[in-house]
Amino acid sequence: MKVSGLQFFTLAAFTLLGALPYLVVTPYTIQLATIALMWVLMAQGLNVIQGETGYVSIAQAGFMGVGAYASVLLVQRDGFPIWGAMLIAPMAASLLAAIIGFPSLRVKGHYFAIVTLAYNLVIFITFSNAVSITGGEGGLSEIPRPESLELPYLGTVSFHNRINYYYLTFIIATFGYLGAWLISRSAFGRVLRAIRQNEPLAEAVGVNCRSYKLTAFVISATYAGVAGVLYAHMIGFINPTPFAPDASLNAILAVIVGGSGTVAGPAVGAFMATFLPEFLRVDESTRFIAYGLILIIATIYLPRGLVPAIADGIAALRVRFRLDGSRHACQKPRPANE
Amino acid sequence: MSRRSTALALSSLALLMGVMTSVAAIAAEKILNVGYNDSLSGPGAVFGLPQQRAIQIAVDEVNGAGGIKVGADNYKINLITNDDKANPTEATNSVRKLIDRDNVKFVIGFCCSGPTSAVASFIGNEDVLMLVGTAAEKSITTRGNSNLFRNRPPGDFTGAAAGRFIASKGIKKLAVIGALDAALYNQYLAALKVEFEKLGGQIIATESAGLGDRDMTAQLTKIKGLNPDGLFVEIYVEQAAFIYRQANELGLKVPTFGFHGGSEEQFLRVLSSEQMEGVYDLRPTELTLAALGPEATKFAESYKMRFGENPAPNTGYAYDGIYILKAAIEKAGSVDVKKVTASMASMNVPTDVVLKYLPVDGKLFDQNGQAYITNGAFQWRNGKWTFVSELPSDTKAYSDALTAARVSKNPIK
Amino acid sequence: MPSAAEILQQIVNGTVIGSVYVLIALGLTVIFGILGVAHFAHGSVAMFGGYLTFWISQKYGLSLYPAMILAIPFGAALGVILELFAYRPVRNAAPINAFIVALGLTMLVDRLNMLLFGPDQLVIRTPYNGVYEIGSIAVSELRIQVVVVTVVLLCLIGYLISHTSAGRAVRAVAQNPYAATLMGIDVNWVSLLIFAVSSALGVVAGALIGALLALAPGVGENLVIKGFAILILGGLGSIPGAIIGGLTLGISEALAAGLLSSAYKDVIAFMIMIIVILLRPQGLLGRE
Repeated sequence: MKVSGLQFFTLAAFTLLGALPYLVVTPYTIQLATIALMWVLMAQGLNVIQGETGYVSIAQAGFMGVGAYASVLLVQRDGFPIWGAMLIAPMAASLLAAIIGFPSLRVKGHYFAIVTLAYNLVIFITFSNAVSITGGEGGLSEIPRPESLELPYLGTVSFHNRINYYYLTFIIATFGYLGAWLISRSAFGRVLRAIRQNEPLAEAVGVNCRSYKLTAFVISATYAGVAGVLYAHMIGFINPTPFAPDASLNAILAVIVGGSGTVAGPAVGAFMATFLPEFLRVDESTRFIAYGLILIIATIYLPRGLVPAIADGIAALRVRFRLDGSRHACQKPRPANE
Repeated sequence: MSRRSTALALSSLALLMGVMTSVAAIAAEKILNVGYNDSLSGPGAVFGLPQQRAIQIAVDEVNGAGGIKVGADNYKINLITNDDKANPTEATNSVRKLIDRDNVKFVIGFCCSGPTSAVASFIGNEDVLMLVGTAAEKSITTRGNSNLFRNRPPGDFTGAAAGRFIASKGIKKLAVIGALDAALYNQYLAALKVEFEKLGGQIIATESAGLGDRDMTAQLTKIKGLNPDGLFVEIYVEQAAFIYRQANELGLKVPTFGFHGGSEEQFLRVLSSEQMEGVYDLRPTELTLAALGPEATKFAESYKMRFGENPAPNTGYAYDGIYILKAAIEKAGSVDVKKVTASMASMNVPTDVVLKYLPVDGKLFDQNGQAYITNGAFQWRNGKWTFVSELPSDTKAYSDALTAARVSKNPIK
Repeated sequence: MPSAAEILQQIVNGTVIGSVYVLIALGLTVIFGILGVAHFAHGSVAMFGGYLTFWISQKYGLSLYPAMILAIPFGAALGVILELFAYRPVRNAAPINAFIVALGLTMLVDRLNMLLFGPDQLVIRTPYNGVYEIGSIAVSELRIQVVVVTVVLLCLIGYLISHTSAGRAVRAVAQNPYAATLMGIDVNWVSLLIFAVSSALGVVAGALIGALLALAPGVGENLVIKGFAILILGGLGSIPGAIIGGLTLGISEALAAGLLSSAYKDVIAFMIMIIVILLRPQGLLGRE
């Protein structure tokens, strides 16, 4: 079976991540990888509205916060069982996205992006000021891990164990990735891309762009809500800080640099966005300058993002060294497929 | 003995002695890795950077004087620094890194409540000792972590005393403006309100401002319309300065009380001394030289010489942190973290500290790992913060209340 | 129930801050209206101008206005550089690319400011501390000056647009870029001019903010978001819209904080934005 460069890469990465806790034992790296997987969810979600539909959303971190606070409040104030809360909470993000997306998606690109930034700010300000509910800047602490599960073969799985929590996040991120992949290949995904390329035309041929865009927005917010839930129950403490617009910009960076037209791209971008700062332990200012430069340069020179660029590069190399079965070196390289 | 064998014997002896003394020297000088996590950039840097400087001075002093004495060994402190950017996730990662990669057993710093709370959530499960500095959120010391200590008292410890003070000045209708979404400030206010109302006062307005706001004219206009006879301001230094300036510009002239700290320079960058005249600052005495002893003066001089400005009031916590750690280790006679923790929990107030601590049952830290310093009233007179008086506080009662506030499902771990 | 005097005071407060908003919104609206670029980094450029003004005034002992005038050419130069190297390459690509570039630029310029001028807040001190009291309304000298400077600048810009050949060229490009090219107008040059003028306005806004309040990381972003709220309110590309929108926002914020709750003051801008999008997406004075 012929496996494209991209597919091979994806499979290899998946295997590596699956075995990670046994390859690298430091709790620190496992924690970082768990966070990176949450950001994979964030980036995949964002990709649905941004990469596929072409509407930049700067509210992703806000939705993450909604999911996080919803879950914690259900557990701490209403005494919900933790798994129950974790399952229901992302719907708060979905609901909010539906409510605020409905009027906002009728405006075009720039407007929409700015409005989503405004929403993120409103969400942030609300978290900070509704002190009696959210604890304000002091936040909510002592957030419990989900209850232990009795599983066949594995016995009692406790989520206080960080390796187990890693696998929980890994499994959910995998489902998220598959979901994004399915969306991308489906008719729904094709319509979204049509909207991105030429919305007036899509509208003219009878597509109800409004409802497609809204669905995409709700899907992306749901992903963020799930990420938020996982985050809250792992770190054990939340306050408004991680859900400020800068974090949304992080998600955008991940999608753009990773590659907004592909499914693997955002995942790669998410890992980069999480691990790169740890490796480049330079001061905050330099790091943001680098981010800004990367964003600008990537948009100008690598508009499709890193993953397609790398995939193109690999494909070109394969032609160059005649590894793809071609006989003539002057044949144009085919772009890497999904 | 032949000349040759004598020479051999002597040179071997010399070699042996040389090796022994160098081995002894190496054995005597050891390194103690101490993890330092603080907010060195972003919004918390205004508290974190002064802490960093104070810690640098303390560490250099301790190392310069030979280090921490444990038996025959002298431990030099090696500080491993991480910036948590006032972000809880970053703080968790940073401390995780210190514990896992750098293998530290002692972590200090922690100027900001958000990141510190995040770390406090998991530190109970770790084999390290955590010493918190400026972070003032009350619940940091109510979680039953036996390995967490803090030498900065929570906000409401001062709030109660402040309420009594303001009432004693004859204020009956107090207007409040502050960053009420921050735990430190709303806890302070809650305690202030209780005492102030007990003495017949009434809080007629509670306006809030964001921690990044600089234009509070709208809130102040509203307050002016309610005719208060006193104004209370609790927010970060930089914003407090703007509030005082704008209050002046709006013609709001009433006795003004605040909780914000801040050096003279920080205020004079924004408004004039005349506009500040008479303003009170009701806060833990912290690093106010007039109220402290010679160690404090010496520290302030070193700080000024090295960094070119007066030390911020919260530098005292950080500086003392190093000396408290040193005293606990020396008292334990070991760098084993369990022994040092036990030692710290039962130690008296050490001698080299700059702040004035109020012992609880004779010890520096109460059973929650919380230490207390005196509260003071300061007034701006002629361009300088002048120490007016100490604010009487009941440490034992507060400590008991803190223990009661500890969630019952958190026995000391 | 607040008195009439209190309400009037709030309106006066709101007008002052509204004037600064107008300056920012003007800079944004000319770029967006004529070039179609959402120049998100404008706030950071304004901050650069303000910081530079502070630095010049400290280093050469100049007061606010001379320092500001000296800083203007440098601010304009920054705008030109951004246009040439960041926005021009994506001019013909999808609009979303320009927006991403703008986001990247915001990060870049903001942090550059921090590296150059430090992370602490800086306040441009002025000698204009006098307070005028008219009845029970109090207004400081500096605040009056802010409004005056804004009005002067508006007249200046208005004159330049209607009475100079450069202004005519700008109007031509605004109406129809392709026709303008056919008429021999160099659109590239007009782009540079627009960015230069917009950034010059930004410098003034930044300097005034530095004197009125303070220059610090994050202030620029806050301003530019409000700027876009004003654009949406007043209509993208409309100069009168920017003026009306800026004043409306400033006054609404002050009144809301005074009459309702100060905690959610910043939220007002966003609520307005959202309501306008719901009811009249082209804004009060905008064209489609």
